[in-house]
Amino acid sequence: MSEPILIIGGGVAGINCALNVANYGTKVYLVDDTPSIGGMMARLDKTFPTNDCSICIEAPLMYEVHNHSNIEILTNTEVRRVRKTNGMFKVRLVKKAKFIDEEKCTGCRACMDACPASLPDEMDGKIGGMRKLISMAFPQAVPNKVYINPDCRYGRMRNKGACVGGCVVDCSQCRECPIALCVAACKKEGKDAVRLWQSNKNIDLEVKSIVVATGIKDAPAPPGLHGYDVYDNVITNIQFERLMNAGGPTTGRIVRPSDKKYAHKIAWIQCAGRGLAQGLPYCSKVCCMIAAKQTIITKEHDSSVETLIFYNDLKAYGKGFWGFYQKAKEKGVRYIKARPYDVSEDPATKNLTIRYEDLETGELKKEEVELLVLSTGLIPSNRNQNLAKVLNIELDHLGFFKERDPLMAPLATNVKGIYLCGGATGPIDISESVVQACAAGMKAILTN
Amino acid sequence: MNVPEVVEYARGLKHVAFADEGKWSCSVDYLAKIKEAIKEHNLNRVVIASCTPRTHEPLFKQTVKEAGLNPYLLEFVSIREQDSWVHMGEPERATQKAKDLIKMGVAKAIFLEEGEEIRLPVQTDCLVIGGGVAGMSAALQIADQGFQTILVEREPKLGGLLNRVSTVSHDHGVMPAPEIVRVKATLVESHPNINVYTDTEIESLQGYIGNYKVKLKTNGKSSEEALDISTIIVATGMKELEPTGQYEYGSDSRVITQLELEELLRGMSGNSEPLYGTVSNRSLLKVKDVVMINCVNSKNETRGCCNIGCSISVKNALALKKLQPDLQIHILYRDLSMVKEEHFHLDEAKAAGIKFIRFPDDHYPQLVKEDGRFVIRVYDILLGKELEIPSDMLVLTTAFKGNETVGQIKGYLKVSANSDGFFQEAHVKLGPVDFPSAGISLSGCAKSPKNFKESCEEGMAAAMRVSIPMKKGYIEAEGIVADIDLTDCSKCSLCYKNCPFSAIQLDENKQPSVIKALCKGCGLCAADCPKECITIVHYSDEQLLAQVEAALEESPEKKILGFVCHWCALGGVDMAGVSRLQYPSNARLIRVMCSARVPIKLIERAFELGAAGVLVVGCEFPTCHYITGNYACEARMNRAKKKLSKKGVDPDKLWVDWCSAADGPKFANIMRDMVKQLNLG
Ligand SMILES: Cc1cc2nc3c(=O)[nH]c(=O)nc-3n(C[C@H](O)[C@H](O)[C@H](O)COP(=O)(O)OP(=O)(O)OC[C@H]3O[C@@H](n4cnc5c(N)ncnc54)[C@H](O)[C@@H]3O)c2cc1C
Ligand SMILES: Cc1cc2nc3c(=O)[nH]c(=O)nc-3n(C[C@H](O)[C@H](O)[C@H](O)COP(=O)(O)OP(=O)(O)OC[C@H]3O[C@@H](n4cnc5c(N)ncnc54)[C@H](O)[C@@H]3O)c2cc1C
Ligand code: SF4
Ligand code: SF4
Repeated sequence: MSEPILIIGGGVAGINCALNVANYGTKVYLVDDTPSIGGMMARLDKTFPTNDCSICIEAPLMYEVHNHSNIEILTNTEVRRVRKTNGMFKVRLVKKAKFIDEEKCTGCRACMDACPASLPDEMDGKIGGMRKLISMAFPQAVPNKVYINPDCRYGRMRNKGACVGGCVVDCSQCRECPIALCVAACKKEGKDAVRLWQSNKNIDLEVKSIVVATGIKDAPAPPGLHGYDVYDNVITNIQFERLMNAGGPTTGRIVRPSDKKYAHKIAWIQCAGRGLAQGLPYCSKVCCMIAAKQTIITKEHDSSVETLIFYNDLKAYGKGFWGFYQKAKEKGVRYIKARPYDVSEDPATKNLTIRYEDLETGELKKEEVELLVLSTGLIPSNRNQNLAKVLNIELDHLGFFKERDPLMAPLATNVKGIYLCGGATGPIDISESVVQACAAGMKAILTN
Repeated sequence: MNVPEVVEYARGLKHVAFADEGKWSCSVDYLAKIKEAIKEHNLNRVVIASCTPRTHEPLFKQTVKEAGLNPYLLEFVSIREQDSWVHMGEPERATQKAKDLIKMGVAKAIFLEEGEEIRLPVQTDCLVIGGGVAGMSAALQIADQGFQTILVEREPKLGGLLNRVSTVSHDHGVMPAPEIVRVKATLVESHPNINVYTDTEIESLQGYIGNYKVKLKTNGKSSEEALDISTIIVATGMKELEPTGQYEYGSDSRVITQLELEELLRGMSGNSEPLYGTVSNRSLLKVKDVVMINCVNSKNETRGCCNIGCSISVKNALALKKLQPDLQIHILYRDLSMVKEEHFHLDEAKAAGIKFIRFPDDHYPQLVKEDGRFVIRVYDILLGKELEIPSDMLVLTTAFKGNETVGQIKGYLKVSANSDGFFQEAHVKLGPVDFPSAGISLSGCAKSPKNFKESCEEGMAAAMRVSIPMKKGYIEAEGIVADIDLTDCSKCSLCYKNCPFSAIQLDENKQPSVIKALCKGCGLCAADCPKECITIVHYSDEQLLAQVEAALEESPEKKILGFVCHWCALGGVDMAGVSRLQYPSNARLIRVMCSARVPIKLIERAFELGAAGVLVVGCEFPTCHYITGNYACEARMNRAKKKLSKKGVDPDKLWVDWCSAADGPKFANIMRDMVKQLNLG
């Protein structure tokens, strides 16, 4: 039982799985294809149903993983090929270049200060979050090292103000870069950690079992849905989450994208897109509680802000969830059973008018708000397709990984020795992800 | 800041034998240099002044250890996050602050003592209480590792609720419950490492991880000898909350619960006889109009959503429809809490002609009897009018509760449960199957109502949690633990009652002692002990006092003395640092593991020494690494304020606040506000 285990995905599920397995005494490789472990939770503000601060409870676990003698973290790393022979999985990983010598980088961020070019952040762009071409995933990133946007190196960022934009030589040809400001800044700090010419690295492992913990993604809002991407002040719930977050681009100020002014009246539309061709065909389970959380926090920031939630069926499924919803109501959140059918913008104020059918009275009504949040739901990781092929395991029709027999063999896939946990199985909350992480860890340990 | 000046200052401090500047002290080269210096100068204490202990302390501890020094002889001082990054515009003050911080670190280091991880041996015998699917799943995983498993079930048969349920539905299908029980129970009963005790209850249970003594009572007969048990999983499940008196339940046999309906259906399918036989003689086939009312006793002031009721009602309605296609079925509901793809069942039910009526939250349907016949009056929200539905069978989807043994188990294990008898887990998100004390786990419906699959997963998860110490053969606590000196102990039991981890035990004479391996070192007990008998290794009163005195040696009237907890408050401080938020440099912070460690006497001492203000910051509620430390701190600080005002100190000079690890801006604001209000500008 001492052969190592591979865990794919370093969100809260992968992290918990890794810690359990490693504490049991088994060696773990924890692979994430982004520059840091942490997953979705590292970006959240508070967490329902208790409103614990997300990074406060996750970061200590991330450090624990980092310092654990039985865990090897491989970030920016993809699973490229898996073969099963004699009951063991032979795994080929590719560690994509971060263009940094991770041994040498101390995370001092001097290079980030020096870098002249920023791009809108993938997650926070809509609400004004920018990211330097050399940057750290988030302040508590593990490993606490920087990485360079690969595009920076190929002249593709020329018109974005990259310092190497004018260079015509392929970085991989040079061993010294006389232009790059990050290189200079790092050297000035007495280190020499930037490696613009670094290449991808293959890593081969042999493991006895694999846990897939590739998590969820926030569903993007289809352009046009309730005015999304047409009107400035329509955002999704993950964007709102980042607005609330003291560690986010607005340092926690709930302001509108259009004028950066505090929003005084905010509406949430639940199940946004449900029933429409572009929307999700299933219930994402957690959005009702996310909205309750977001309204409670909004009220805690400023109790005079008006908040309303357009919803249909309330999903308060878990322990303490009903009380949490009650708390939102006590704080003055208005819950309206409604079917919103159209949103329009006042071009002068950039306020939004939502027209809806009140399901309790059958009346057609409207409501003007300053900011509109679409609860779009959770979708599978966009890398699942590829990973399913590599691992030779099945996806369900929604793109989540499929359990061979959910009742009699929960979390097991169609390949013996490969197990699932967390968002990889479908929409899920943190607590359930942790339960599954422990359970899948147990199964992975017991594989022989 | 002027680093060479700071180094020079450090070198001149009493007891300092060696001081050096390293630009990147965490780099491999410099770590080697630290090791060399320790050996060369025969150093017996090390103070590192650099970034933050939250990320780098383990690294330096390891380095010190590699140099042959006990890692507990290291003290970490944060001069980057707490100083150079946040006072960039005032280098002189930053330099002064760094000197103070190092002086405080040295002052503490002088009193540091060697520490060691404390181990408690753990064998491999696990007791699982409850033989439902959660308990069975747990037992199988544990036994598969070769560990001895004792599974105790008070009923004659394994299976729990599934012995009464007809079928088990999930996202896409249904499976007969008896079949599931047969497969699972056979695996359990034939497993060489599982001892199944049916018809058995726990007669007595005492001890702690690695050291439990358990006596069983089978068929009313007590076992002779106590069993030695190392770890325990609680999987005692739940039962229906009987809706006695509501809708004539209990007085009219046409009113039944969903579970009773399941038993009837189970009888009909010829699968097996209902085990309990409470509802056996009614013939389902005569029924014509079935009405189900959901959320009975749920979603009100006292109780939440029952989680599985909607799915159960839809499943059972479909089963009835299958038996008798011309049956009229109405499901009266508030919200349909069917998640993921459970709506498939819903679509199927609608297609089968089952009617769904949504009633208002505050206006439940009413049962009216007309000539002995049932009429259900319900206000249909969607139609906007009141309907009358005839019925000859009323099924109540009632709430759930823990069974009557919960009180007993709670007492045995020193754990808590809510008013419905569901056990309370250690941490809602990160410790979902743990109890606060090590070695005992929780799973399945004993925690809260959930579906079959989730119950199984929790059983497996609980097995994982208790298997770790069994596999390792011990549990280990960091050297930061409580130590009780009984000389002055008045046997008040306060420490025993207050410890969030049940790490303090009392002997027959009420004398407390610490089970070191269970202690997490929060210091709550020490700070509240009226006789000051308790010392926390590595955070002793002596050490903290030395820091306070060092901090306030010079110009105390300009200084704010702060206590910050390691987990969130220091996280907020670090976040302010990383974000380069600039704030006044008056504070001198002392790290404690938990805000509950801060005793009133240290605060009083700080004011005696002339501090301008004292700040105590803990984790934002409800987060606390030690479960309830911040609550304890809050209560104590309220007492502290009263005491201060009695002594003539303005209680407003004591600031108590709560931060999350993302609250950099908040911490910076606290600093600015304090400086302003205390006129330190
Ligand atoms: C806006 C929002 C708010 C939320 N609020 C709450 C809340 O308050 N409370 C709560 O309980 N839950 C909340 N959730 C849900 C919560 O985020 C999830 O339950 C949780 O993150 C799932 O954890 P996970 O580890 O399974 O997945 P993730 O956190 O998604 O982590 C998956 C990891 O796997 C990596 N990965 C993906 N694919 C691959 C691959 N092919 N190879 C390698 N690595 C890969 C990803 O980079 C990521 O790091 C919220 C979700 C959203 C979107
Ligand atoms: C009416 C109904 C219909 C359901 N239908 C479905 C469905 O269709 N699909 C689905 O997924 N889920 C369904 N469920 C849920 C599912 O039955 C539960 O999730 C699962 O059975 C719970 O298992 P458990 O082991 O946690 O608890 P239980 O099944 O309650 O088992 C607990 C066991 O512990 C024993 N016990 C209790 N106290 C002690 C003690 N002190 N000492 C010794 N033994 C003790 C009890 O006798 C019992 O055998 C349904 C539940 C109900 C009530
Ligand atoms: S300057 Fe160098 S050491 Fe500092 S963060 Fe950038 S790459 Fe790392
Ligand atoms: S320090 Fe904390 S965990 Fe340890 S005995 Fe005291 S109260 Fe309990």
